[in-house]
Amino acid sequence: MADVLLILFGVSLLFASITNMLRGLVRILVWQGLILFVLTILKTNEFNLWEFIFVAVETIIFKAVLIPWFISDTIKKNKTKREVEPSVSNFFSLGSMALIFAFSFFIALWSDKGPANLYPMHFGIAFAAILKGLFIIIANKKLITHLMGYLIMENGIFLLSLAIASEVPAVVSLGVSLDILLSILIAALFINRISNTFEEAHSDELSTLKD
Amino acid sequence: MTYFSLWLFPIIASLLSFSLRNKSLNRFLVLTHSLLHLGFGLALLVPQTGFAAWFGADSYAQIFFLVTAILYAAAAFYPLTGHNALSPKQSSIYTICLMAFVASMDSANLSQNLGLIWVFVETTTLASAMLISFEHHKQSLEAAWKYLFICSIGIALAFVGILLLLVAQDSHPSLLLSQVTSGIGSISPFWLKLSFVFMLIGFGTKAGFAPMHFWLPDAHSEAPAQISALLSGALLNTALLPLIRMKGLMTAAGEGTLASQLFLGLGILSVFIAAVFIIKITNYKRMLAYSSIENMGIILIAFALGKAAETAGLIHVMGHSLAKATLFLTAGNLYKIFGEKDYSKCSSLLSRHPASAWLWILGFVFIIGLPPSPLFISEFYIAIGLLSSANYLVLGFWIVLLAVIAYGLGKAVLNITMGGKENRVKLPLMSYLPGYLLLLTAITVPVIVLKLLSN
Repeated sequence: MADVLLILFGVSLLFASITNMLRGLVRILVWQGLILFVLTILKTNEFNLWEFIFVAVETIIFKAVLIPWFISDTIKKNKTKREVEPSVSNFFSLGSMALIFAFSFFIALWSDKGPANLYPMHFGIAFAAILKGLFIIIANKKLITHLMGYLIMENGIFLLSLAIASEVPAVVSLGVSLDILLSILIAALFINRISNTFEEAHSDELSTLKD
Repeated sequence: MTYFSLWLFPIIASLLSFSLRNKSLNRFLVLTHSLLHLGFGLALLVPQTGFAAWFGADSYAQIFFLVTAILYAAAAFYPLTGHNALSPKQSSIYTICLMAFVASMDSANLSQNLGLIWVFVETTTLASAMLISFEHHKQSLEAAWKYLFICSIGIALAFVGILLLLVAQDSHPSLLLSQVTSGIGSISPFWLKLSFVFMLIGFGTKAGFAPMHFWLPDAHSEAPAQISALLSGALLNTALLPLIRMKGLMTAAGEGTLASQLFLGLGILSVFIAAVFIIKITNYKRMLAYSSIENMGIILIAFALGKAAETAGLIHVMGHSLAKATLFLTAGNLYKIFGEKDYSKCSSLLSRHPASAWLWILGFVFIIGLPPSPLFISEFYIAIGLLSSANYLVLGFWIVLLAVIAYGLGKAVLNITMGGKENRVKLPLMSYLPGYLLLLTAITVPVIVLKLLSN
C-alpha cells in the first residue's frame, strides 16, 4: 500500500513537469496532501497519540485543503493568467525530472550504507520532490508558481521526515507547523500586496533593486 | 528557566503594545527591553555553573548574545525615521516585530539543540520580513519578498540537513549538540557530510555568503537604518553560529578537512563577489551591505583555518558587527541629510553635519581594518593562519581583494564627506551618539570579553 502511494507521489512530480495550467499544479498539491495523509495514517504505530493527531490533522487540513484553496483563491482574485508560462519547455522539464529521479535514487542506494534503516524508495522519492520544488522555482517566473514550487519542496521534506518518523523528535512536527505559518504569511501578505503594487505578480517585475 | 525570561518581557510588552496602541508607550517599551536585554547579556558573561540541556551559554553564545544586546541598545535609542508620521497601529506592529526579532535571535544563539536553532532562525525571518517591508513602498516590498522567499528556501534546505543528521546517527538519534558529540564515533561519515553541505547552503543563505547572497543587498538597503544595523550586525551572526557548531561536529568526526575546504572556498568567493560589486555601485547603503558579505566571508575563512585563527574569527565577528552597525546608523543620518542613496550626488558632509561626517570617516577606518580597529588584529592573525597553513595563493588573492574593497569604500567616503561650504543641518543627539559609543565598544569589548572568557 505504502509503495503504491509512494509511486503515485512520484507520478505527481512527473505530472507537475508537463501541466500547462496553474489549476493543474494546485490539483497536484491536493493529491500530494492526500497521499501524505494516508502515509501518515499507515505510520500510526510510530507516533504517540497526540503527535499523530497533530500531524494527521495538519496534513489533511493544511496541505490538502486550506493551502490549495487559498492559492486558487489568490489566482482568481488577482486575475492571474491561467497558464503556468514556464521559461523552459515541457520536454526539457520532463527530461530534467528524469535526471532528478536518477540522481535521487543514486543517493538513495547509498542509504543502506548508513546506520539508520532507510527505505531507498521512500528516501529517493522524497529527495526527488525536494529537488523538483527547487527546479520549479528556478524555471518559472510567476510568483504564485514559485510558491507552489516551494510547497512541493515542503511536501518532499515532510515525506523525508516521515521516513525517519520512528526516531523523529517533536521538533520535526514543530518545524512543519512553522512552515505552514510561513507559506500562509507569504501568500496572504505578500502576493496580495505585490499584485496591488506591481502590475503583475511576476519576478520580472521585481527588478527595481539591482546592481 | 532563566531563559524563559527572554520571551517573558517581549510577550507582556507585545500584549500591552497591541492593546493600548500608544506611540510613546511603544518607544518606552523598546527602550526598557533593550536595556534589560543588555543587562542580561552582561550577566551571561559571569561563568555559568549548571548547563541546561536545551539552552545554555557557551563561549560562542556569550559573545554572540552580547553583540546582539549592544547593537539592540544602540538601535533602540536611534530615532526612527518618520516616527511622527506613523499611525499608532503601525508603531505597535513595529514594536512587536522588533522585540520578537531580537528574542528569536537570542534564543537561536543560546540554543544547544540544532532543531531549536532551526526553529528560531526561521522565526527571525518571519519577524524581520515585516520590519524590512515596514516603509511600505514599492522597493521595500520587493526587498522583503526576495528576503522572505530566498531565506525560506535556504531554511528549508537547512531542515533537510538536520533530517540527514538524524539519519547519520546510529541508535537514538538526537539533535542535542552534546549528545551528537558523545555519539560521534558511530556516526556515518557519508550522511554527516551530506548533512553538512545542506546546512552550509541553508544557513549560509541566511548568513549572506555568495553565491546565495542575492537577498542581502536589497534587504539591507531598503530597511530602516536601525533594522539594517541589526540585520547586518546581529542576524548574520546568528545564522553563522549553527555552521560553526556543525564545523565542530565535522572536526570531531574526523571530516574537518572537507569542512575547512568548503568554508575557505565559500569565504573567498564571498570576498571576491563583494569586491566586484563594491567598486561598481554608487548606492552607499548597498555598498555597506556588500561589505557585510565581504566580512562574513572573512569570518568564514578564519573559522576554516581551525584553532589557530578561531579567536581571530571571534574578534572579527565582534568588530565587524559593532563597526558595521555604526555605519548603517550613520547611513540613516546621511539619508536624512541628502534624501538620496547615490553617493555621487552627495557631498560636503563635513560642513553640513560634522558629527555624522566624522562618524562616517571613523566607521570607514574601522571597517577596512586600520588600527585601532579590532579588525586589524583579526585580519592580521588570519593572514598568519593562511601563511602557516601554506595557502599562499589564497592569501595573495585575499590581500588584493581587501585593497580593492578599501579603494571602493574610500572613494564613497571621500565623495560624501568632502566638498564646498554648505549650510549646517541639525540632527537630534541620539542620531549620532550611539554611533560613537558603538565605535568605543568596538575597541574595548573584544579585549575584555576574550580576557573574561579565557579565564
